[in-house]
Amino acid sequence: MNVAIIGCNGMGRMHAQMAVNCGFNVVACADLELSTARSVASGFDADATDDCFGVLTRPDVDVVGIMTPTPTHTEYVVAAAKAGKHIFCEKPFGRTVQQCKEAIAAAKKARVKLFVGHVVRYFQEFEAMRAQVAQGKVGKVGFVRLYRGGIFPAGQSGWFRDLEQSGGVTLDSMIHDFDWLRYVFGDADRVFCQALQRTVPNHVDYSMATFRMKNGIIAKVIGTWAHPSGFRVEAEICGDQGIIQFNSDDTPLKAMKRTAPGAGASMIVPSSPVHTSPYQLEWEDFKVWLDGKLRARVTPEDALEAVRMATAALKSAETGKPVKL
Amino acid sequence: MAKIGIMSFAHMHANGYAACLNELPEAELVAVWDDNAKRGREAAKQYGTSFVGDMDRFLESGLDGVIVTSENVKHRAMVEAAAAAGKWVLCEKPLATTVADAKAIIAACKKAEVGLSTAFPCRFSPPLIEVRDLIESGEYGVLYAANCTNNGQCPGGWFAQEELSGGGATMDHTVHVADLLRWMTGREFTWVYCENGMLVHDNLGMDDLGSLHMEMEGGLKVSHTASWSRCKSFPAWGDVTLEIVAEKGVIAVDAFNQKLDVYNDNAMKAEWAHWGSNPDLGLVKEFVASCDERRAPSVTGLDGLRAVEVTVAAYKSAKSGRVVKV
Repeated sequence: MNVAIIGCNGMGRMHAQMAVNCGFNVVACADLELSTARSVASGFDADATDDCFGVLTRPDVDVVGIMTPTPTHTEYVVAAAKAGKHIFCEKPFGRTVQQCKEAIAAAKKARVKLFVGHVVRYFQEFEAMRAQVAQGKVGKVGFVRLYRGGIFPAGQSGWFRDLEQSGGVTLDSMIHDFDWLRYVFGDADRVFCQALQRTVPNHVDYSMATFRMKNGIIAKVIGTWAHPSGFRVEAEICGDQGIIQFNSDDTPLKAMKRTAPGAGASMIVPSSPVHTSPYQLEWEDFKVWLDGKLRARVTPEDALEAVRMATAALKSAETGKPVKL
Repeated sequence: MAKIGIMSFAHMHANGYAACLNELPEAELVAVWDDNAKRGREAAKQYGTSFVGDMDRFLESGLDGVIVTSENVKHRAMVEAAAAAGKWVLCEKPLATTVADAKAIIAACKKAEVGLSTAFPCRFSPPLIEVRDLIESGEYGVLYAANCTNNGQCPGGWFAQEELSGGGATMDHTVHVADLLRWMTGREFTWVYCENGMLVHDNLGMDDLGSLHMEMEGGLKVSHTASWSRCKSFPAWGDVTLEIVAEKGVIAVDAFNQKLDVYNDNAMKAEWAHWGSNPDLGLVKEFVASCDERRAPSVTGLDGLRAVEVTVAAYKSAKSGRVVKV
């Protein structure tokens, strides 16, 4: 099957590689900046173009990977669906719940498969936590704390900095945790959220949300784009018989390179290598679905619900009141 | 030499304070009184002091100050009696379970012209003092947000009887962090939102976890988790953590993260052995000095009241589902 990648600046190159690893051919790379499209296309012997809509109608393209800024997702999904292509769309699915609904309707109408990259469902450590919970290792779960973030992302022409477009850390980053919460612990009933969303004098965002799930569980989700460096994920799950904790700072590998004779390590690069990248696992899962076998682990409706949780959190942050989901 | 007595060993922190009094050369643990005579006698024996079964006699035994470590709801009666007898008072936190009781405690001590302190030992923790110093230095600029925890194991006993404790984990584990933030920033809390409940215990009958959202003067956003979520197999009693987001950076502190990992086959669980400075010692030392010098302690009754106000607002919010003004 042939894939066209739309949006080559951020996640485009990585997704192209993952698709290739799963046996797809990357035939075209599109970006509004032709040079950006070329930089990815050259690595895959693919065509480069700045015609992001034109590439959707190429007859040899079976699957479209949409890796563009969040607010543009819907128009590309709708156009790709109209052209009869299957779709892999990066998260967040859309900027608004309404956009997600439009995208789902377009895919349904065109009878194409629509996959949204909620990759945390494929992260080995999160799958391990889900398994431990399922095995009853903490008993009945009552509280979940998820923490994610680090530096403010740069992003193509700084679109992350436009909080109207990106939704800040609450929509763009914490949506991973919102989706995983729903995946493992069911639907949320209400949310209270405080978010910084500062642009002056620096771009910093820091968001603190409490969800009350329908089954009574309290979940606290913290997202940061306020740190001067680094990236960290933490999780804690508390039940009546135990606790599970995860901290991504605790890695098996730390590489420290000396840059000059006599100088100390200039940078410490921690890493936690796994046999198969979670990003490849999501492409493999999508492929199984495309092959007509099992439905993918993430449905478009799941992705919509994650956007609903994020936009409810943002509404709470704006109004200073709890928001019912 | 300040002569100190302890009123009630109901709260386990009494043990820590008694040990500190024995350690400090400038203090003497002269007597223990307890409304549970058996408990009081045992404690007196353990800390090498005498037990006095009659409260009036205890208060007439030449004490300079008393430490009140009873069940939360009994603080008021004991502090009022001690103040009337002219004793300096260090009262365990929370100062009271209601705003009215906290105010009455302050009024009684004011009327008797005795010093009143609330037991907020975290103010004497070197890592937390360092955080306050960093904030005060101005190097981090304007403070934007703080994300905090005070998790612990469920103490059980009277803590789980609302008529004695006044509430669960939200009551027990909100005040330390509320006080730290007031102390570090010099700001007061303006509103509280709280979700809480019985989440990680089967039949405790009260809240064992509260997730709080608050704002302080100047728009400083605060979230806090107050819990008894630490299970029996957890390696330590709990934690006090703050992540403070500011204009020029982030300050993260895990106050008791000066520890050894200890693996012992008799315990059959991993344990953390804390090697950092003991904050209780600083608290007790300051109280003893205030007794000696007949001056007001650095941590006051008003500090205790302000933290109680936050806690009471949290329970109101949890009940009503609304944001509650402090």
